[in-house]
Amino acid sequence: MPSWQDFEPFIVTGIAAGAVYAVSGVGMVVLYRTTGVLNLAFGAIGALGALICWSLINTAHAPDWLAYLVCVAVGGLVTLLYGMVIGPALAARDALVKATATIGLALILLGAMSWIWSNNANARSLTLTSDSWTFRLGSVLVNWTQIIALIFAVVVAVGTGIFLRSTKLGTVMRALANDREISATLGVPVRRVEAAAWLVSGLISGVAGLILADQVALDATTLTFLVISALAATVIGRLRSLTLTFFGGIVIGLVDALGNPISSVAPYKDMTPFILAVAALLFLSRRGGASARARRVA
Amino acid sequence: MADPATTGQGRLAAVLARAHVDRHDRGHVLAAAVVLVVSLLVLPSVLSLYWVDSLIQVAVYSVVALGLGLLVGRVGMFSLGQVAILAIGSWTAARLDYATTLPFPVILLIAGVVAGIFGVLVGLPALRLSGLDLALITLMLAGAVTIVLQNTNFPNGGHGFTGYTASPLGNPPIRRPSIASTDPGYLRYAVIVALLMFLLVIWHLRSKPGRAWATIRQSEAAAMASGVNITLYKIWAFALASFITGVIGAVLASSATQLYITPFQTQNSIELMAVVLMGGVFTVWGALIAALLLELLPSIFDIWNLSPFLLIILFGVGVIQVLATAPTGIAGQLPKDLARLGRAIASLASRAGGGRNAAGPTTAGGPGPAIGVPEQDPVGTAP
Repeated sequence: MPSWQDFEPFIVTGIAAGAVYAVSGVGMVVLYRTTGVLNLAFGAIGALGALICWSLINTAHAPDWLAYLVCVAVGGLVTLLYGMVIGPALAARDALVKATATIGLALILLGAMSWIWSNNANARSLTLTSDSWTFRLGSVLVNWTQIIALIFAVVVAVGTGIFLRSTKLGTVMRALANDREISATLGVPVRRVEAAAWLVSGLISGVAGLILADQVALDATTLTFLVISALAATVIGRLRSLTLTFFGGIVIGLVDALGNPISSVAPYKDMTPFILAVAALLFLSRRGGASARARRVA
Repeated sequence: MADPATTGQGRLAAVLARAHVDRHDRGHVLAAAVVLVVSLLVLPSVLSLYWVDSLIQVAVYSVVALGLGLLVGRVGMFSLGQVAILAIGSWTAARLDYATTLPFPVILLIAGVVAGIFGVLVGLPALRLSGLDLALITLMLAGAVTIVLQNTNFPNGGHGFTGYTASPLGNPPIRRPSIASTDPGYLRYAVIVALLMFLLVIWHLRSKPGRAWATIRQSEAAAMASGVNITLYKIWAFALASFITGVIGAVLASSATQLYITPFQTQNSIELMAVVLMGGVFTVWGALIAALLLELLPSIFDIWNLSPFLLIILFGVGVIQVLATAPTGIAGQLPKDLARLGRAIASLASRAGGGRNAAGPTTAGGPGPAIGVPEQDPVGTAP
């Protein structure tokens, strides 16, 4: 059995990786709570932003900060466009159908990205400026990207929670998620409110894309399907609770990383998100399931 | 009470209705016969090995798509883990091929049963979960299975049940049935196995389970009220879909000399869902169309020097289009579009008084537009 010393570095990397899952999970829950759409293209949209950002920096030699802004803006725009064009056509349908349609968006983006950025995909990497700002925590070197990821996840989770609970737009969004028809009857400008939700979620996906590209890999396929791991965090949060989703993400990252020093577990550590999510789903199913519950309460 | 006129009329109506159904059926049987004759007798001997290999994959994936279509279209359960089930079937079969001298059909059956058992294990939570939760849990299980495959010397080869050789080049190929050792022969074998699986599913759909599934899909409450054992039939659907997927997985295992994990990644389950929805989940023809999209189209794109990524984009557009406007998929939409095209041509022809240029104003016939956005009615009904 490895000693405490062996685990120490992995606690920091675990929390950093967990923050990445948490950011994505929180971004998906925000959209699900407001529009009822579980956006499975979240990772693909982020990846598109990150790849455009990479091209701006490396081929157009744009300043870094501008490229980062463009990345976030691309995330917002693509998501908003999808929400405005496809969203209304599926608004009256089951949550499952809406989620499946976003698979379509993910495939379109994945195909386009693989096509445009096809040559020497392995050589590509995105290094954020904040990677070079480092400090020591115990025996571990921590960089500011990891801290920023964590702070960003906290800010989004807390901020959205407060926003949904106590602002007018937030209240309207919750009403919309609960019952679109009745909200419309009561005079809620449905399209405009939904557009706001899509835009905000898209901006979050842009930021998440930047962080993921830096922390995981700048690769269209990897980032697109990383959504599956991030989904595990949302499942733990019952597709509803931003706090639980946040901690779900952190726990997934921690357990995953802490498997590293234990040699018998290490090869299978990547199963962590899936096992935790399956356990959460089975446990929650005793209370009527994640999405059913979210629909009732949101 | 029994007015001879009404009973006579009623009987006549019943006979007519049956005749109608029969004629409808005859069309399908005829089409199926044509497909079979062509794929068993003509194609294996005419085509080059490139296309034969491609068609073996089509035969395999038509059954995988059939299983998923059964779950989605007939019972209303979205499973994103079918490729994991396929992997389990293939794995079991490949190991048995290496370790035993069992006759091939027995291996097919064992692979089917093992996959079926896994399917039931997946199906058990499905009893409590529905809709989105079920899709998520199957996706998570598929993700877990992918990682197990990556870490367990996935079949690889060598002798016995756990044989492993570091260099895959030295491996003996996974064996094939002695009656089908060549590629064309194996294509025939695969088509026959696929046919048996289709017949098994059609037989289910036409008898009690099919009616029970239809009731469950419409309304679980109504199904329960009319005495349908929902638990039993949901599990049954998972078991059947997984069984046929496992059997065809065994066929897949022997189709190439080695088995790699590439076709069994989680993302393939997602792509499979996309093409199955595009093909159409309400008829068994949809499964064949889905398999053609998934396995034949890439070969065609390859020949035409088109980017394989274009295909992924097409699948994406197709999914959104099917969900938003045409829930019956290509299998349901194509006949309608062709009929409309026919009517358009007929009306043009009659208007022009037998004019020659009746090429038709619509574009719904060709394979390209049918995948993209054929014109159609915005149908709003949920699949």
